[in-house]
Amino acid sequence: MDNFKINYIDEMLDDVEKKDFLKYRTGELPTWCPGCGYFGITQSIVQSCNELNLKNEDICVASGIGCAGRFPVFMDVYGFHTLHGRSVPVASGMKLAREELTVFAIAGDGDIMGIGGGHLPHIARKNIDITLFLFDNSIYGLTKGQSSSTTPFEQTTNSHPFGNPDQPLKPVSLALSYGATFVARAFAGNVDQMTAIFKKGITHKGFSFIHILTPCVTFDKVNYTWKNLKANVEEIYDEFDHTNHTEAMRIAEKSRLYTGIFYHRYDVPSYQDYLKQK
Amino acid sequence: MSNTDIVLEICGSAGEGTISSGEIFNRYISSIDFEIMSFDTYPSEIRGFGKCVAHSRFSTQKIFTPGKYTDILIALNDAHSISQLGHLKDTGVVIYDSKPPKYHEEDKSIVGWMEPGMISYGIPFNDLAQKAAGNSRGRNMVALGAVCALFGVDHEEFKNTIIQRYAKKKQIVIDNNVNSFVEGYNWANDNLTKIDSISFKKGKNKNEKESIIINGNQAVAKAAIDSELHLYAGYPITPATKIMEILSHELPKKNGIMLQTEDEISAIGNVLGAGFAGKRSMTATSGPGFALMTEFMGLSVMAQIPAVIVNSQRGGPSTGLPTKTEQSDFNAAVNGGTGDLPRFVIAPASVEECYDGTTLAFYLAEKYQTLVVILLDFFLSNSIRNIDEPTPPTEKMLNSNIAPNEKELKDYVRFKETKTGVSPRSIPGTPNGMYTTTGLENNERGKPQYDGKLHTKMSDMRYRKLNSALNDVPKPKWTGPKKDIDVGILSWGSSAGAAYEAATIANKNGHRVAVLSSLVVFPVNEVDLTKFCNESKQILIPELNYSGQYANFIASYINRPVERLNMVSGLPMASEDVLSKIDEMIAS
Ligand SMILES: Cc1ncc(C[n+]2csc(CCOP(=O)(O)OP(=O)(O)O)c2C)c(N)n1
Ligand code: SF4
Ligand SMILES: [Mg+2]
Repeated sequence: MDNFKINYIDEMLDDVEKKDFLKYRTGELPTWCPGCGYFGITQSIVQSCNELNLKNEDICVASGIGCAGRFPVFMDVYGFHTLHGRSVPVASGMKLAREELTVFAIAGDGDIMGIGGGHLPHIARKNIDITLFLFDNSIYGLTKGQSSSTTPFEQTTNSHPFGNPDQPLKPVSLALSYGATFVARAFAGNVDQMTAIFKKGITHKGFSFIHILTPCVTFDKVNYTWKNLKANVEEIYDEFDHTNHTEAMRIAEKSRLYTGIFYHRYDVPSYQDYLKQK
Repeated sequence: MSNTDIVLEICGSAGEGTISSGEIFNRYISSIDFEIMSFDTYPSEIRGFGKCVAHSRFSTQKIFTPGKYTDILIALNDAHSISQLGHLKDTGVVIYDSKPPKYHEEDKSIVGWMEPGMISYGIPFNDLAQKAAGNSRGRNMVALGAVCALFGVDHEEFKNTIIQRYAKKKQIVIDNNVNSFVEGYNWANDNLTKIDSISFKKGKNKNEKESIIINGNQAVAKAAIDSELHLYAGYPITPATKIMEILSHELPKKNGIMLQTEDEISAIGNVLGAGFAGKRSMTATSGPGFALMTEFMGLSVMAQIPAVIVNSQRGGPSTGLPTKTEQSDFNAAVNGGTGDLPRFVIAPASVEECYDGTTLAFYLAEKYQTLVVILLDFFLSNSIRNIDEPTPPTEKMLNSNIAPNEKELKDYVRFKETKTGVSPRSIPGTPNGMYTTTGLENNERGKPQYDGKLHTKMSDMRYRKLNSALNDVPKPKWTGPKKDIDVGILSWGSSAGAAYEAATIANKNGHRVAVLSSLVVFPVNEVDLTKFCNESKQILIPELNYSGQYANFIASYINRPVERLNMVSGLPMASEDVLSKIDEMIAS
């Protein structure tokens, strides 16, 4: 038994070294709760950067405030932990300043579906070439379990002990109606699929919206638990035509949580490409 | 040569060419070497026929204010112009349409409202414009023609100015304007008998330096371009919008970007993002937008990322008086935001200083990795001057970021403690320079940490930057006597002009009045302030706000009573206002 453990750990360490996982990480250990979905997301972002051969110094990350917002603190890249809800405008400024950089915006559901919700339509319609990773745990994690804009109707939370009176927003449907040119959903428990989606999103020339379903193991025991998510996610079928907006909208509205690329549009120039044509 | 100092106003309805005729007049007057200071008033509501005024003061002397009393009023529209008579001089001249397109009802004609002693010249603007061009559009040009005839202006040269102004338009437009002008000139020459004594042929002696006609907003935009601005992000708001519109033309020529954002929060967020990425960026706004930017102002300071914000003040609070001038955002600029938040605040006193203040702002923001607020106001944004071609920023000012050297990059510590408070900042793309910055209190490596000792040390670093910058900014300007001062005026922003003029007159009257005003209002140069106050028997602080924001602020530095002059009439401060206060203080 002990032998098995040691072998397993050795194998894991080997894997870590081979895949260069530590390359993009600072020595700082994440302060997230054990079991939090954010570890898997981080691993996938790191893996995507690695597989895309991005240099640390060419990556800029702007994050909001929340557990998700802490992401750049653990990363060895150019990071800016900004304000609650404001990762998107800051990331936009980074890209507009230095087009050659790869720019990520990191946001919690509170960040970009709540307080900073007003930025999403505009970054989408401007098609500025950044990738937005929405860490959606359907709860306010950092402030300890209040309802967010994606918390289901009637769920009890620390701010709504008698049930959430508000209807939840649907991030993918919104991104689609706002005209985002790359819209995908991933699940924090499926690192391989996540990585494949992230790489597509990062290399897409234009605004990429990636909705990531992820559990908050500490403050959400009923909705986005590992168990519920595993039971409810389903990969979008292979033949799905992700240039078809109507189809994308249709499956986004289903109660089944589809994962994969919903929509990928190639014919809209990025903001900066448009300016260059003028 | 005797001195000339004249205020001319053109008043009409929107659409009557009021502002454009004022602009042509300014161009011509500037070309014959007068100093000008001009100011346009637009209707504040978007109603078709709102009142417009082009107000112009021109002089053979250096002038600092637009002048309170008018010498010549050109009434393109009687109904609107009647209220302008309130500040026409006792012997002022009115030029009006003697046969307007629609006959005035009784009491609506301007002549009926004039005081005895005022002089009027009636000219059939409308008939003459119809004769020249077949429509009444050229009424404003007829009026300018009459001005040339009445006051001895070279009408051939003036005609050339009109042609230049419309050079990009169709030939018919040029012809109609010129013909209307000539019609007015000839008619006035043939039919009017001059009974006033005003004339203005030629300004002062020719200046060697190239001069340009420019307003405060244009000066800011020009300075931003000269400072290698890369990204302007903004949301339209009076009186700052023009800066955005100018830059939307100018930035693309330099591969820069004008980004119209969804709100002011996004605007300042983009500014910080670009600043983080190593490019110069700015936004411009007014009260309501400035309020929205407050949270990001704190982030700029805490995360040590450059940001330049122009706040062109309107009357406040809240949406306030969008098209009136006031200086009531001093508190918000100096203290706005939460926590101990050191930042630079620059308050230009003139159009020239709008340029210099802006180039300085970019230099300081980048070098000290922090927030710089430039305070303009409605009046300064729109006040038009002919100034010498400004001095562009030096190489040193253009490249002011202190980057880490190779040795420092071996083990890069982003927020390393230094004597100046400024730690070398690496720019994305620099290998081994990676770091994460945050609005949380953090240690030297940017790691969030909240212990009291660290917070004390980091707060000290943030304030130390400002102190070390005091030697890096222009010293306060001290004009007038250096000793035995009867009244020492501590002035800031656009009301400094009135203080200069009032002091000059008071000194001619045998008093000893001096003015201290500083382009950088925060941090305060306490050495100069103390010296000035020690030499002054009494201190006066004139400003355009109700509560005396600057006076209250200064009180905490100088520890003695000050006299205040506070006005919130929506108008710029006039030298007469300051002068009567000085007289009152000296008499008491
Ligand atoms: C302007 C502002 N309001 C409130 C807060 C407090 N606050 C910090 S994080 C947060 C919610 C975080 O939720 P989410 O964005 O979903 O991130 P998570 O912690 O779940 O990852 C709140 C309300 C803040 N930092 N700033
Ligand atoms: S509180 Fe929730 S979201 Fe935050 S780290 Fe813990 S598990 Fe993750
Ligand atoms: Mg959340």
